[in-house]
Amino acid sequence: MALALTVNGTRREVDVPGDTPLLYVLRNDLGLSSPQFGCGLSQCGACSVLVDGKEARSCVLPVSTLAGKQITTLEGLPDRWAKQKGLATAAAKDTLHPVQQAWIETQVPQCGFCQNGMMITATALLEQTPAPTVEQIKAAYMSGPSPHLCRCGTYSAIVEAVQKASALVAKAR
Amino acid sequence: MATISSIHGATLSRRQFVKSGGALIVGFTLAGERLLAGAADAPAATGKNSLDAALSASWFEIRSDNTILIRTGKVDFGQSTAHTAYKQLVAEELNVPFEAITSVVMGDTDRTPDGGFSAGFLEYGGQNIRKAAAYTYQALLDLAATTLRVDKAALTVKDGVVSGGGKQITYGELVRGQQLKLSIPVQGDITSMFGLTVTGNPPMKPTSQYTVVGKPFANSVTPSKVTAKEQWVTDVRLPNMLHARVVHPRTLGSTLVSAGTIDKAKFPNAQVIVKGNLVGVVAPTEWEAIKASQAVAAGTKWTDWKGLPGHERVHTWLREKADWKSTPVSKGDKNQGNLAPALQASASTLTASYELPYMKHAPIGPTVAVGDARPDGTVFVHTHNQNPQALRGQLAMMLGTSVDNVVVRIYSGPGHYGRSNGGNAGAEDEAVILSKAVGQPVRVQWMRPDDLQWSTQSPCGYSNIAIGLDNDGRITAYQAEHYMPAMQDDRPVGAVIAGLPTMPAPAPEPPLPIGSTINGIQDPWIYTRVANVSELGYGTYQVGQKESPLAVGLRDHSMRTPGQLQQNYPRELAFSEAAARARLDAIDFRLRQTSDERLIGVLTAVREKSGWQTRPAPSPKASASGSTKVTGQGVSAMLRSGTYWACVCQVSVVPATGKVTVDKYTIAVDPGIVVNPLQLKRQIEGGALMGLSHALYEELTFDESGVTSRDWRSYPILTMADIPEIEVVILSHPEIGSYGGGSEAANALAVSAIAAAFFDATGKAARRLPLKAPYVQSVLNAQNSTR
Repeated sequence: MALALTVNGTRREVDVPGDTPLLYVLRNDLGLSSPQFGCGLSQCGACSVLVDGKEARSCVLPVSTLAGKQITTLEGLPDRWAKQKGLATAAAKDTLHPVQQAWIETQVPQCGFCQNGMMITATALLEQTPAPTVEQIKAAYMSGPSPHLCRCGTYSAIVEAVQKASALVAKAR
Repeated sequence: MATISSIHGATLSRRQFVKSGGALIVGFTLAGERLLAGAADAPAATGKNSLDAALSASWFEIRSDNTILIRTGKVDFGQSTAHTAYKQLVAEELNVPFEAITSVVMGDTDRTPDGGFSAGFLEYGGQNIRKAAAYTYQALLDLAATTLRVDKAALTVKDGVVSGGGKQITYGELVRGQQLKLSIPVQGDITSMFGLTVTGNPPMKPTSQYTVVGKPFANSVTPSKVTAKEQWVTDVRLPNMLHARVVHPRTLGSTLVSAGTIDKAKFPNAQVIVKGNLVGVVAPTEWEAIKASQAVAAGTKWTDWKGLPGHERVHTWLREKADWKSTPVSKGDKNQGNLAPALQASASTLTASYELPYMKHAPIGPTVAVGDARPDGTVFVHTHNQNPQALRGQLAMMLGTSVDNVVVRIYSGPGHYGRSNGGNAGAEDEAVILSKAVGQPVRVQWMRPDDLQWSTQSPCGYSNIAIGLDNDGRITAYQAEHYMPAMQDDRPVGAVIAGLPTMPAPAPEPPLPIGSTINGIQDPWIYTRVANVSELGYGTYQVGQKESPLAVGLRDHSMRTPGQLQQNYPRELAFSEAAARARLDAIDFRLRQTSDERLIGVLTAVREKSGWQTRPAPSPKASASGSTKVTGQGVSAMLRSGTYWACVCQVSVVPATGKVTVDKYTIAVDPGIVVNPLQLKRQIEGGALMGLSHALYEELTFDESGVTSRDWRSYPILTMADIPEIEVVILSHPEIGSYGGGSEAANALAVSAIAAAFFDATGKAARRLPLKAPYVQSVLNAQNSTR
């Protein structure tokens, strides 16, 4: 069936069965490779995207339920930040989201496969709670359908990076 | 071509003039293989899609703009060793800035030189590329001497600029307009587990002159992973490609009775492919492939099979039923003295048995590969794999073709910590089988249950330890008997299921020691003052391997700190228990047993940094009951890949609930030369948390037929809620002159330190993992104290 989605601020049309999970539509039809297939069971968070600003697991989200909703992927974070900050287009082109910037500065990833969901969750957290405590950071990664899982053990680096991102957000005010 | 110089066993030849660009291409000749073939004067054979010693498959390209590309057959999974440490090693030997090395090509079998497994990055592959760089440096000096007409001995090099006799020339200028071939001597078999090794002894830069090694460098891959620009293995899409899912057998020993069929009304574009006992479903879209495969699975009939002991009985089965007789017993290389009389004469003796469960590599993404079997007989495989050349050999064997016809391309993917070090991660063979069947590229993506149920596991095992003590707390005798099924089954499982040719299953007489049932002693002995030492390794077939009509069973594969984790855990935990028996502090006790200065160094450092309380265990406040939290401390030590490690864990236990929490993890590491302290610290932190996961959560569950761990609920791993305070103490000793490894060990050290801390906190010894509430409560409720 033909469906219209709003992804990273742009209207996109796809022709897929309505029960297709959003993950496959993003990866296979819309060329957005940031959400990863980790379990297909909403148990790990590798496939996370923002739906209306909230973290959601795209591997179990039927695409037919997303009409009229704003979907943001990792690819869309720089634009999202630029819009929130009212940056000019030229400046926005060279700007990373503070979360991405912090992830690079902190050298978070080992294999990096789970980090999409980790950055999406950090973004959702900081939009609600710009200066979270360590306990709030940990809680953010334990909430939702399941804890966010990392096999490489980057959890402590993630906490550091969220704190750094929080500082970058504060600096940009 | 005219030979213009001979460099410590390597030869440099000037080749044809190149009109534009120009690069120093460093390839190599297979000196070792030629000698083996008895044709020392023949030029090195370079097959199709393979290493071309003169051109494409080369170590370095030094370009006319002074940038450098490096190539390695090792596959860095994200720990960044190839992207930082390898660049640093090459930059040192070539005398160029770190930033001059702008590209790293990894793993692709037609684009990289040396092959071999991706572990021991500094010990193996790092020394290959370092030597290759050292040969190349000498070649560049020779070339500069000729070009500048200055004696080679009078030349100096800084930042890629050669100076001498008042003249200067950059490497870029030096190589501009010409292409050179430097032949580097190597030996080995590229598709073997170990790949090729660079031989000879080129002059190396003294470590005292290092300016790049030892400094922190960021991983150049991180930005692309963080901004969704990285090309992951999951992103590979080829023209005309079909998506596939595999319907794996119902049990680890089931054979196919009949494959389910496709309801064309529901799945008009899907088709079922059957090859032996392998059932695959392909479709143009991924969702149709998934749904059709679920429908086919429901309609597929398999024989029943029961032949496994189940996870709750597996250690009893190993003790009572497993065949430990047909495999030769391994002996530790430090075995000495006379055990039985020494144990008998001891003032006291600790005897204990320790058990470890099967654990999974458990990558966050299930394995995925794209196979592209082309009409001309060549096969391309796009995958995420730690030994692509070995995979190439395995696929050639499966297809009955030459390795010349197989190309493996490597992409970033989810870390699986050893699973593919022998050549296959899981889906590659199935992708090739299905691609060949349909005549189109096929992408096989395992689902989460496939990945937990059909991949290999880190083997379970048990160890019997006896420690004899004198009245001063000195160990008079140490005896260890380690029992573990074969650790490395490198048969591609899809090929096994399909009935296609593979290497043999692990057996007592293997083609190589590493694929056998032999249980080698993996944990180097470091307690030098112990006079009587006996470490024995008993091996056997994998559980279910011989019983399964599919010859599958519970297949094993090396996992982070392989084999050594299984032997270090019982040793170090028994040492902590023995220290308590001797009424000695566990660190003092260890110091008493060794004269090894590097071990003393890490133990001393970890004691200082961890807040360790010097006293015997159990803690004066230890308790095995009540709902009040009790706390304890534990220590462990290890020598691995040239690196000395010591770890302290502080834990809390709530006896009433059986909940164990790790509050603090402190580790001291002495690798000798520290290459990149920033990335070393990150690797250790990651290893530490993986070790907590092993200690607290991980155990593969299985019944009599197969694996019952299907998802992250039935195979839980550590979460953010569990992270302790972590402190990493890096001890740099460049004067030692060796490059110890850093990515392994931290996980293994955690398990015994946590178990020792549990003993300190409760006074009860927990001698198996993981420390989950039901097991912990059974230990705490047991009547007998273990003291």
